[in-house]
Amino acid sequence: MRNFTYLVPRSLNEAISMHESRRGRAKYIAGGTDVLVKMKEGKLAPDGLISLRHIIGQDRPFLNTETGELYIGAFMTHRSIERSPLVQHRYPVLHDAVKNIGSVQIRNVATIGGNLVNAVPSADGAIPLIALDGKAHIYGAKGYRLIDLARFFLGPGQCDLQGAEILTEIIIPPLSPRTGGAYVKHGRREAMELPMLGVGVLLSLEADLTTCAKARVCLGVAAPTPFRAREAEAYLTGRPVTEETLSEAGRIAAGESRVRDSIRGVAWYRREMVGVLVKRMGMLALERAKKRNE
Amino acid sequence: MSKEITFTFNGNRMTARVEDHWTLLHFIREELGYTGTKEGCGSGECGACTVIVDGAAVNSCLYLTVELDGRSLMTIEGLAAADGSLHPLQKAFVEHGGIQCGFCSPGMILSAKALLDENPAASDEDIRTAIAGNLCRCTGYIQIIDSIKSVRGEAPEGPRVVAWRDEER
Amino acid sequence: MPSFNTVGKRVPKLDAADKATGRSRYIQDLKLPGMLFGRILYSKYAHARIVKIDASKARALPGVRAVLTGEDIPEIKMGVYKDNRPLKKGKVRSYRDEIAAVAAVDPQTAREALELIDVVYDPLPAVFDPEAAMQEGAPLVHEAHQTNVLRMPWKLHYGDVEAARREAAFTVSERFTTTWVTHCCMGTSGAIAEFDPGNNLTIHSNTQIPSLAQKEFLEALAAMGLPDRRVRVIKPCIGGGFGSKLDTYAYEYIAILLAYHTRRPVKIEFDRTEEFIATSARQPTITTISQGCDRNGKLLFRDVKMILDNGAYTSWGATTPSVMMMPITTLYRVPNVRYEASCVYTNNTYSQAMRGYGNPQATFAIESTIDMLAEAAGIEPLEFRRINANQPGDVSTQGLRITTCGLAECMEAVKAQLGWEQSRSRGEGVGIASLIHVGGGARVYKSDGCGAMLKMDDFGKVDIFTGATDMGQGSDTVIAQIVAEELGLNIEDIHVIHSDTDVCPWDVGAHASRTTFVAGNAALGAARKIKSRILEMAAKELYAPLEKLVLGRRHIQHVDEPDRRVEIGKLLRKAHFSHGGQMLMAESFYDPANENMGKDFRGNMSMTYTFGVHGVRVKVDEETGKVKVLNYVAAHDVGRAINPMLLEGQVYGGVMMGLGYALSEQVIMERGENMNPNFRDYKILTARDVVPIAAPVLETPDKDGPYGAKGIGEPGCVPTAPAVANAIYNAVGVRIKDLPITPERVLAAIRAKKGMDLCGRKTGTDSGEACVIEE
Ligand SMILES: Cc1cc2nc3c(=O)[nH]c(=O)nc-3n(C[C@H](O)[C@H](O)[C@H](O)COP(=O)(O)OP(=O)(O)OC[C@H]3O[C@@H](n4cnc5c(N)ncnc54)[C@H](O)[C@@H]3O)c2cc1C
Ligand code: FES
Ligand code: FES
Repeated sequence: MRNFTYLVPRSLNEAISMHESRRGRAKYIAGGTDVLVKMKEGKLAPDGLISLRHIIGQDRPFLNTETGELYIGAFMTHRSIERSPLVQHRYPVLHDAVKNIGSVQIRNVATIGGNLVNAVPSADGAIPLIALDGKAHIYGAKGYRLIDLARFFLGPGQCDLQGAEILTEIIIPPLSPRTGGAYVKHGRREAMELPMLGVGVLLSLEADLTTCAKARVCLGVAAPTPFRAREAEAYLTGRPVTEETLSEAGRIAAGESRVRDSIRGVAWYRREMVGVLVKRMGMLALERAKKRNE
Repeated sequence: MSKEITFTFNGNRMTARVEDHWTLLHFIREELGYTGTKEGCGSGECGACTVIVDGAAVNSCLYLTVELDGRSLMTIEGLAAADGSLHPLQKAFVEHGGIQCGFCSPGMILSAKALLDENPAASDEDIRTAIAGNLCRCTGYIQIIDSIKSVRGEAPEGPRVVAWRDEER
Repeated sequence: MPSFNTVGKRVPKLDAADKATGRSRYIQDLKLPGMLFGRILYSKYAHARIVKIDASKARALPGVRAVLTGEDIPEIKMGVYKDNRPLKKGKVRSYRDEIAAVAAVDPQTAREALELIDVVYDPLPAVFDPEAAMQEGAPLVHEAHQTNVLRMPWKLHYGDVEAARREAAFTVSERFTTTWVTHCCMGTSGAIAEFDPGNNLTIHSNTQIPSLAQKEFLEALAAMGLPDRRVRVIKPCIGGGFGSKLDTYAYEYIAILLAYHTRRPVKIEFDRTEEFIATSARQPTITTISQGCDRNGKLLFRDVKMILDNGAYTSWGATTPSVMMMPITTLYRVPNVRYEASCVYTNNTYSQAMRGYGNPQATFAIESTIDMLAEAAGIEPLEFRRINANQPGDVSTQGLRITTCGLAECMEAVKAQLGWEQSRSRGEGVGIASLIHVGGGARVYKSDGCGAMLKMDDFGKVDIFTGATDMGQGSDTVIAQIVAEELGLNIEDIHVIHSDTDVCPWDVGAHASRTTFVAGNAALGAARKIKSRILEMAAKELYAPLEKLVLGRRHIQHVDEPDRRVEIGKLLRKAHFSHGGQMLMAESFYDPANENMGKDFRGNMSMTYTFGVHGVRVKVDEETGKVKVLNYVAAHDVGRAINPMLLEGQVYGGVMMGLGYALSEQVIMERGENMNPNFRDYKILTARDVVPIAAPVLETPDKDGPYGAKGIGEPGCVPTAPAVANAIYNAVGVRIKDLPITPERVLAAIRAKKGMDLCGRKTGTDSGEACVIEE
């Protein structure tokens, strides 16, 4: 790795002014598990790294009991999210995802913010957060802005952050009643896999515990960015959630995906798996939604 | 650029001047001269470089040394007691065949230590998860898992000779 | 069962404490004063003429001490076929071809220097498919060789296969393929070379063949104009071998050349990407096989034709067909056998030996078709194998003499422990496959021997100097156990020295699962000599007849009068310090009576053979094609388990490596280029993938093995893939004939069986919309 200057701001404003004064020659670093790998491979050679690790923020996901909103700090590690009982019990779709990112060693340092900003189609953290209708809270020289995570990803490795902007938080709106969700990453091994495909489904049921009130079907590695299969979602909404309707939703989602051949998987197989896994995650989401109602 | 950092290394406070771009792995091996921490890939994928920082297992190949400031670092050299007697995990790895070529062992043992420090009653599943980021090509992991389980208080099952036939003629 | 003090015990590895504390020194950990760092520039093309290399900018970089290209070095020929040289001249034949090398004061400078070397290439048409390479008019990898097919006559025919085929009641014919997988030693390759003022060479290197390496380096020195010098090979602690270190490699010669040019120690250490790209993988094979049996299931013939992708150069790996002959002729009783193998040059990476030495590829084809044949004959697969099992006393068509054989018992163990007949849920299946492997070394070189020297000090402690190489498998410990047992000592009394050709005797190398058998016998020979001298000395000391004396722990005593005893240490001191004193030292060289294969490849390759049977229970997810291994039983006939713990370690490690071979591992080679040179995409299994493995051992003490032991280093990964493939067939009725058995392949096969296309639609139905496979 080439030499660089490591800067340690203590506040968001300090970080932003450090970034601006270096005019694009500095990069933020959080856990560094993406940045440092790229630097070692010579794909990136910034003059400076601006650490986000010392900016005081929350150390665990926080639920605002009045509004029902969940706040997840962007600098939080996957490990701290994984261990949050709140996430484990109320947001299993997110727990499913973060607990399988890399290894314990990676999760101990890698952050959810880094995962989102890195913006690869396979970002495990992105899918459940999109499914949960998460919003990205972004801070820049001009102040704060809030955008839907579903619109945050622009292309492989590209997200909607300009200049010195920092992703500070992800805000999850209150869960509808009778909601359940599930995420799976599909790969060959049980650990250390970058997903060949990531599938997250979130379902909210009507009081009859059968009819789908709201559906989210989110896919990773099925297109250049993580995305919502909106036609599949629309199909499910208002229909009873059954193996048949979920299979159909899977078929629709497969049709919406723009899968490719790569060394990690071939297109036809990826498309087929979208169908199968949407169904399976849907069934699991249904089960969890019912359980939460008990 | 370089910075002065103060940290605890295997129980001893120390201060060092470090370059901003040094990985912790480089610092430990090349600057401090402790070679028990291994490099198997340099990119977070093998776990041979695992060390414990403030109680958490991390890949030292993807950790910047400057970030050590104010923290506490443990490498494999810091695990045995001052009189040289082995830590129970080290002893278990020795006695249960958890070590073959040994290249993965320091990282493996430290991952296990971080787990058991936090959760002495770790389940089998916890153990497998804790070392999933430590690749081992020799052992097939089974005796490693046995070793860790034995510290948790269970002896692994012994050998099984199913038949014995003397064909000497 | 006889009782022993040390043999048969779960003795921890002698070096385990050093490894557990981080004290062991691997090549990565060694630094010599004044040492420079070497780095290698590799080709940017699979096949190209080197038009020009301009290294002037690299030479001018401060900190660079030497830059070498193919033009700067003498004719050093490498490999069994002598078709390779350390730095290529004229043309490159694969992406991993070494073009230039630098030595610099630090690794970073060496890296930068490589970027400053300008190479102009003129690309040539290349060939990547061995079958295409065999065609007339295919681009020639080595023009001088005139053909891409190596002139290695792997061809045998015993009995009359065609006649047997006509006679057979049931016959199956199939084609199987296997691809590149690689050793993935956790410690990467590396070497440090250093010359003294007299131009004698010391090289620290990760090698499994110190003595042969020494000879090859001597030849290199001669080519460099330095005849009659000394070469000392020192092995540091090795971070895994598995066959990868069975040859000498370009990087070792390059370190030597750089050291010679700079007069400084030079170290070359691979990073992980380089380890994936520039070390050799297991040979890919294309196998066409047919086997036939009579109405009662008795095998009548086996006919095998194989094409091996040699890659651009030739390593020892090209001789794997000699070992494949063993399962092909002798796994089960087969009266008529034909085998022909062609090793073919391509512009791919060159292949190498890897744990099993060809046996896994051959066994995949054999054991898959055995299952198919059993089905055709309507005989239960286990029963079919039992009918054809080898028996002690058998001599196979190739002339392999089976001394001990526990195949039938291993089958029973698998049957019982796997719950063979237990009911299975949907998608669940069981599969089985057997193995034969050399258990007493194999004569692939002029000598299959190993030397041992033993000395005892005044305190009854032993230093044993062995030629054997411990790469982590624990051969040191096994040797120490054998010596301790023979001399009535404790394991702590034995110190094994194995790392230095200056002090250790000759050995052909750590391959063919031979170390326990051959090095063990050598150590045993030396120990026996010492033992008889100790007993003689004790007889004098105790005024007792020899035959009345026995060795106890660290002492010798009279059988009938236990009080008449003397400590071994005391005896030795007395011998040493008395007038005309003596010290106890002994040597032994053991070369097993393994036969060289004759012209028709007949000959008893090994003094004994190890057998085993693996059984596996899988669950196939019919919607995703994913295969989950539920349970695995690997039963082996090991002669004697000298150290059950280390033995189990070999089996577990072998099985997990074998499961990787079966299910997840694959070097993805696109037009000769390695597309996944990292652990993210080259998928060796993790601790989360561990499956329950039972490793029952069957002991059939072999009269020639040390305490009856046979070799077990490799077998664990031999029959894994066919056992899994057979279980998948049993589960969902599809036969996968290509490794690795990926979910994609399984799903595609399931779809095809159901008469569907890949998109899950019935083939032949007109849905109006095409099934798009590629985008
Ligand atoms: C061995 C290994 C295994 C992995 N496995 C997985 C896996 O299974 N699934 C998966 O999804 N990923 C995986 N990753 C990728 C990586 O660990 C994750 O993407 C991680 O979450 C990145 O977080 P980080 O804090 O380390 O990011 P960093 O590397 O610190 O930063 C990543 C990028 O985001 C920018 N950045 C970081 N935080 C912010 C912020 N708050 N505001 C603005 N910009 C910011 C940085 O400038 C940089 O460009 C793996 C990586 C490795 C090395
Ligand atoms: S060297 Fe750090 S994970 Fe491999
Ligand atoms: S013991 Fe060799 S890699 Fe684990």
